[in-house]
Amino acid sequence: MRTLVLGIGNPILGDDGIGFHIVQELAKEIKDENIDVKDTSVNGLNLLGLIVGYDKLIVIDAIMTEDEKVGEIYRLKPRNSSETAWSTISLHHLNLATTIEIGERLFPKEMPGEVIIFAIGAQKVTEVTGEMTARVKEAIPRVINLVLEELSLKR
Amino acid sequence: MTRKITIEPVTRIEGHGKVTIHLDDKGNVDKARFHITQVRGFEKFCEGRLFWEMPVITPRICGICPVSHHLASAKAGDMILGVQLTPTAERLRRLIHMAQFVQSHALHFFYLASPDLLFGMDADPAKRNIMGLIAEMPEIAKKGVKIRAFAQKIIETLGDKRVHPNAAIPGGMNKALAPDKRDEILSQVDDIIADCQFAVDLIKDYCAQHSEEATSFASFGTGYLGLVDINGNVEYYDGKLRLKDSQGITLEDNVAPENYLSIVEEKVEDWSYLKFPYYKRLGYPAGIYRVGPLGRLNVADGCDTPLADEEFHNFKKLGNDGVVQASLYFHYARLIEMLNAAEKIKSLVQDELICSKEIWVNSSQINDEGIGVIEAPRGTLFHHYWVDRSGKMRKVNLIVATGHNNLAMNRAVYEVAREFIKDGKVTEGILNRVEVAIRCYDPCLSCSTHALGQMPLEITICESDGSIRQVLRS
Repeated sequence: MRTLVLGIGNPILGDDGIGFHIVQELAKEIKDENIDVKDTSVNGLNLLGLIVGYDKLIVIDAIMTEDEKVGEIYRLKPRNSSETAWSTISLHHLNLATTIEIGERLFPKEMPGEVIIFAIGAQKVTEVTGEMTARVKEAIPRVINLVLEELSLKR
Repeated sequence: MTRKITIEPVTRIEGHGKVTIHLDDKGNVDKARFHITQVRGFEKFCEGRLFWEMPVITPRICGICPVSHHLASAKAGDMILGVQLTPTAERLRRLIHMAQFVQSHALHFFYLASPDLLFGMDADPAKRNIMGLIAEMPEIAKKGVKIRAFAQKIIETLGDKRVHPNAAIPGGMNKALAPDKRDEILSQVDDIIADCQFAVDLIKDYCAQHSEEATSFASFGTGYLGLVDINGNVEYYDGKLRLKDSQGITLEDNVAPENYLSIVEEKVEDWSYLKFPYYKRLGYPAGIYRVGPLGRLNVADGCDTPLADEEFHNFKKLGNDGVVQASLYFHYARLIEMLNAAEKIKSLVQDELICSKEIWVNSSQINDEGIGVIEAPRGTLFHHYWVDRSGKMRKVNLIVATGHNNLAMNRAVYEVAREFIKDGKVTEGILNRVEVAIRCYDPCLSCSTHALGQMPLEITICESDGSIRQVLRS
């Protein structure tokens, strides 16, 4: 079984970099040849090209929620991701759930059978800075543990 | 009295554009202008940077063809250093370049252009897009995703990143290709070549079934410019410049890319931020020429890979073995090139030298000028640098593909407008067709104006007195 642990985000856009930073740490911990650990800042159909072919996908990404629970960790499945937008103005704005839905239509056999998303409540995602909000940063070790648990790996 | 029609936004084009159509007293089209309204200023803010840095700065001009800027920059750097690349470095650069052709051409055809052709230009815009394609023709959409993923993986393998790779440096490459990665590419490439052939067949069928529209839509004569190799074949990485006129007569041949200024001049118009290059000898605007897939195939005598060469000769028949003029044939030419690039990837990875570690040569020399010319997916790309003794940029000149096609895109809009606006009557469907005409050129407006942003299109129709008659938005 091949698993992909994918951190999504841009490390110079504040809290958006959380996925990136976490996989840098995870890459040091995970030495299993059946588990790939990658970061990416692409989305939409480009993202699809990355995830096709894996059996299991674990995504780590920042999330903006209405109640602004900064630093809160959410464990989500694509089905309970925010509503998907099929008719979109630009390919640049496909969300993760839509991307996975498209993937299941196009590559039903090759898409990961299991997708788990760890989303971390973010505060600033548009400011150009390498620094994250303190509460987001504090979530890092907990997310790492959750991902390792998910992979049945112990520290 | 003239009336003015403006089309905005041009969707599914990278960048931003706006069209104005001026009518004469009788309500017929007087002139049509495709405005590029943004500026980014790369040429200016690169001044003072070291030439070594340019291959990582200039790719940021574009997220679709960063590899072209990366390589043109590195080539200009080679000339500043006065070095000759090792055979492996040159092959690796060609490999990443061909991978970009495949991903960029596949992006344009499958994601942006094919919905116009497969659903028809008058189909509901809500369906006439990649989402509609995924929903209704998933097998076709799937091939697009697959071809792109293959090519992007090659870019990532050589340059660590899928979008803005870091692979080429003045004097060569910064990383060798590992044999296991080479084997991986080799194991998939035949499948991709087959998918590229599928795409060529698709466009060939389309052109055969819609031959009247394909040959008449936005069709007009211009010159053509592109690089060719020593045998006259289509060349993407190196070679010499060739320019043909609208009758297919060769006006310039064997021009060393460094001498581009002997044939090309640029004009500035006060209604667009994008300059208008033209063929010097014929003057402005008579020196209109086109670059990109149509330009390259029109100037060349063949392709250097078997499958693409066969398709090349089929394509040439459309122009009775002379030049092919209609804008829609850009799509056809683009897919032949995609096939050509996929075949070239195969022969590059089959070459034993590709995995050698002889990838870089240095020199202590710093020449005061460097010119890097390359065929980017959208057409000929010029990077021209002037440096001081320490290698700092004194001046930078970039002429990008969309710039070369600027006059032609304006002409294409004019041709479409003339057909759809007669005696003051604007026929429905004009908006879609102006968009489709512009999209044939695959303009990367963010590159050409070095501007950042999305691409919406608006058409303003102006009366002869300059007052606005109607504004159409897509």
